[in-house]
Amino acid sequence: MNELSRAQIRDLMDQVLKNQDKELPDDDSAQLREIGFRSLDFSELALRVEDETGEELNFDAPGLRRIATVSDVLDFLVELQQQ
Amino acid sequence: MTVATSRPASARPEPAGVDNRLVVGGTPLTWRALPTPALPDPAAVLAHTAGHALAAARQHATHGTELLLSTASRVDAAMRAELLDAGFTVALVGDDGVHPSAPTRPRAAEPGRLWLLTSGSTGRPKRVGHTLDTLTTVRGDQPDRTWLCPYAPGTYAWWQVVTLSLTQSGQHLVVVEPDELDDWPAVAAAHGVDAASGTPTFWRRTLYRDSAALARVPLRQITLGGEPVDQAILDQLREVFPAARLSWIYASSEVGASIVVHDGRAGFPVEWLGRKTPGRPTITVHGDELVVTSPYHGAGLAGPIHTGDRVQLIDGRVLITGRLDSDEINVGGSKVSAGVVRGVLTGHPAVAWARVTGRRAPVLGAMVVADVVLTPTAAPVPDEAALVRWCAERLPEYAVPRRIRVLTEIPVKETLKSDV
Repeated sequence: MNELSRAQIRDLMDQVLKNQDKELPDDDSAQLREIGFRSLDFSELALRVEDETGEELNFDAPGLRRIATVSDVLDFLVELQQQ
Repeated sequence: MTVATSRPASARPEPAGVDNRLVVGGTPLTWRALPTPALPDPAAVLAHTAGHALAAARQHATHGTELLLSTASRVDAAMRAELLDAGFTVALVGDDGVHPSAPTRPRAAEPGRLWLLTSGSTGRPKRVGHTLDTLTTVRGDQPDRTWLCPYAPGTYAWWQVVTLSLTQSGQHLVVVEPDELDDWPAVAAAHGVDAASGTPTFWRRTLYRDSAALARVPLRQITLGGEPVDQAILDQLREVFPAARLSWIYASSEVGASIVVHDGRAGFPVEWLGRKTPGRPTITVHGDELVVTSPYHGAGLAGPIHTGDRVQLIDGRVLITGRLDSDEINVGGSKVSAGVVRGVLTGHPAVAWARVTGRRAPVLGAMVVADVVLTPTAAPVPDEAALVRWCAERLPEYAVPRRIRVLTEIPVKETLKSDV
């Protein structure tokens, strides 16, 4: 599997927000609520990761945990690729 | 067991259109001049070319032998076994003659019976029984026309054009083989085609490939059917052919032709719902589904037929947006009509075609995604973000496709439909 690095996923997250004229802050501890990154955006990001890797992510395996910050999103998707 | 190969004596007069002009493989002739194959009865004819299919149709019209007509590519091994089991002689018909396979359970033929294989958009193709009469939609006198026939032999849409030419004088036919489809405007212009019937995908594809070549075809009648018709494709055709009559026909193998609209607007007037006219279909809506009670439906069907097509009532019009089982996408509990989203995307001036589907997504369960083909002359060329913004201005947030893939060519199936 062609796994994406945390930095690559961050670039994709930046793209998701840019398409909506929003900005991804440099600080990964930024709250998703404050930057307007919502469930639709998270789903879009997951699909972009799938498209880049050519593999389906197994969302069922770990269960979706609480995701509140940019860092949470990136960590979660990095982990999900390894399931 | 023997296979009957002799044709019964003709008990019918020649059809009224027997001297209409046909152009098959670029060669002009008439229905009367077609070779008359000696077909078994009942026969499932798998025609090698459009010409062989027309010959089988004419043979049925004059002799009434029981006939199922298709092409070899639409009949797989399982369907072939099913047909043999149902008492048909399966006959491959080509330039080298008729090659029959004997039925496993022979039976007497049902005179006058015509069978259709449905397009399979509802799953596995199934047989629907008709007659030449129930397949004939146009009965009133028509102006002389030269029609294009781009459909696969034996489909409901193919029979619509073929029965018109067979049963009315002055209705000529130019047949396009599958390998000529990309260049049909040149063939049509060369042979004076002034009327053409096709799916919206067929028209979009033609506009996309070469709208200048299309404009050289002197079309006076443009007909669309077989798929949801949105306002964008009607407007694009109106722009190229301002004086032509634009018709949308809702028809299917099961219910026959049921709705015909000529006003150039998508959908049909809401006032038509529930209208009862002797000899005409009655159209109703149950929930989100179109229901048709028709005098022209297939054998064995009676009463209201649930079509499986989803409708929406917007601005006094009833729009058919797609199949109920595939049109609805559930995004986190909010229902999205793929057809409505498709309509928004194809309403973008740079989008020639769009397919909208649901894709498995975390948190929401499904998410709306789309494939699009851009018009060759699009300027500026919109990127994914621009198309997302276009949709976001016109749709609720959950219905906006976030993943939009740009394809280089409009996909089309043998039925001239795309996967919508």
